[in-house]
Amino acid sequence: MKVHQFLTSYSYGDAIGNEALEIRDYLRANGIESEIFTLHYHPRYARQVRNYLEYDRFSDPGNTVIFHFSIGSPVTKKFLRLADRKIIIYHNITPYHFFLDFHRILAKDCFKGRIELKSLADKVDLALGDSEYNRSELVAAGFPRTGVLPLVMDFAKFDLPVLPVFKEIFADGKSNILFVGRIIPNKKVEDVIKAFHLYQRHFNPDSRLFLIGEYRGFERYFSALQSLIGKLQVKNIHFSGHVPLAEMVSYAKLSQLYLHLSEHEGFCAPIVESFHLGIPVVAYDAGAVAETMNGGGVLLREKNFFQIAALCHEILTRPELQAVLLAGQRQALEKYRQQRTGTILLEYLRGLRP
Amino acid sequence: MEPSILAAAEINVEEIMAAIRKRIQDKKDSGLLKQSEIDEIAEMELQPLPDFLEIPSIYEPVLYPGFAENMAPPAPLEEAIRETGPAKGLLKKIRSLLFPLIRFMTRPLYVELKTGILDLQKKVQIVLPIVLQSSEYIRLLHNAMHNLIVEASKLKTEEELLKTKIRILEDKMEFLENRERALEKKLPS
Repeated sequence: MKVHQFLTSYSYGDAIGNEALEIRDYLRANGIESEIFTLHYHPRYARQVRNYLEYDRFSDPGNTVIFHFSIGSPVTKKFLRLADRKIIIYHNITPYHFFLDFHRILAKDCFKGRIELKSLADKVDLALGDSEYNRSELVAAGFPRTGVLPLVMDFAKFDLPVLPVFKEIFADGKSNILFVGRIIPNKKVEDVIKAFHLYQRHFNPDSRLFLIGEYRGFERYFSALQSLIGKLQVKNIHFSGHVPLAEMVSYAKLSQLYLHLSEHEGFCAPIVESFHLGIPVVAYDAGAVAETMNGGGVLLREKNFFQIAALCHEILTRPELQAVLLAGQRQALEKYRQQRTGTILLEYLRGLRP
Repeated sequence: MEPSILAAAEINVEEIMAAIRKRIQDKKDSGLLKQSEIDEIAEMELQPLPDFLEIPSIYEPVLYPGFAENMAPPAPLEEAIRETGPAKGLLKKIRSLLFPLIRFMTRPLYVELKTGILDLQKKVQIVLPIVLQSSEYIRLLHNAMHNLIVEASKLKTEEELLKTKIRILEDKMEFLENRERALEKKLPS
């Protein structure tokens, strides 16, 4: 059996790219030939992936192709024309309206993506979502055979110490609040800033906000955030940009609270990672966030910024509340620890038409 | 009414909400917090820099819709009042009946007016190309002004983006300086 994967883009530190790599390694370890084909890729991965147009040489009706679908692209057309057995793994597409003011091209690709998703409905053998929320979107798009393939969660890689330099710089007694994710409009970083501003102004002036994530490609959004920070006169906001894992873990371990106010999530890996790292989580209920939290942390039903600030203060000043929250998060995390993504994938592959 | 926060069963959400409400009320009572401040922050929206890829460099079709079609020169008066068909005979008969009246009363007026109109037409023929040329100049001038404004705004946007990049670099510099100091502290003296 040969199982190959299609991707639109394989960028550095990208969750979808990482998952494709994990799947490829797992398949290879199980004696299944597997390659990754993509349209765009980071030069760092030039030796690990192939151009998707090369796939004609590999195509065979006996093969299975897994397409990681997250945006509209020419890869969809190529995938549709293949005679191979087809599976899509749907990582969700951000609704285009979030990008209209900041990135028209991406807005167009997201819009096209939703149309392409519907066009795939009757042409694939199996459609998998990486969360139940994503699977329900597949059902709504008309896919007859759907399933859930959980994201590969490798918690062991987060078991790193805080970098001594970070300890020196940031372990200064300030309360650190964390947000991890790309600095893009659907993540509503402006809401995190607003809530933090009220927290800093009314509850704890000795506080800091870590915004950990890539902002390249969204300079206009980043610039608008900077203007907002200037207007509100908030202090101690630290944008890190894209950082290596060791630094990300250091930021997380130096934080006392994780605040996530995104308005669209197909899954939300940083929440689960915060559970693992023992940071109390406060998150807004949007998309798959409630499903991801699995009953752990605090889920916000509405965005009342002062209420959020006061809630952060309650959590940060009451150790007994923190302890109960962390216990709940550990319990919620068990679901992810027990998941065996590779085994589930192999079962799905065995169930395909011969 | 559904609670605005949800948490595990072990957590007393009601008690947390009561504590939050009390804190908010205390802040309001002490005058440190005003509802208007909360509302103002909630309503504050991001103001993105304009995306100039969306703005056309020539805006003539927007400002002058159908300009080219409407700028055809007017038809000459002689042709416009030419009498043709059955109306011609009828008008001739009426004119012959009214000829004495026309000859002594209206005819001079008509001739005077016609001469005036023909004179004006001749002048229009001379002035029209100048008017057309001027309107073309105005159109070009408008386009040039529009493009200048667009380019100036683009430069302003570029400047803002560069300022943002400088701010990012400044932050990074500051962070690296802190890092450097922290590393120096760790070095054995």
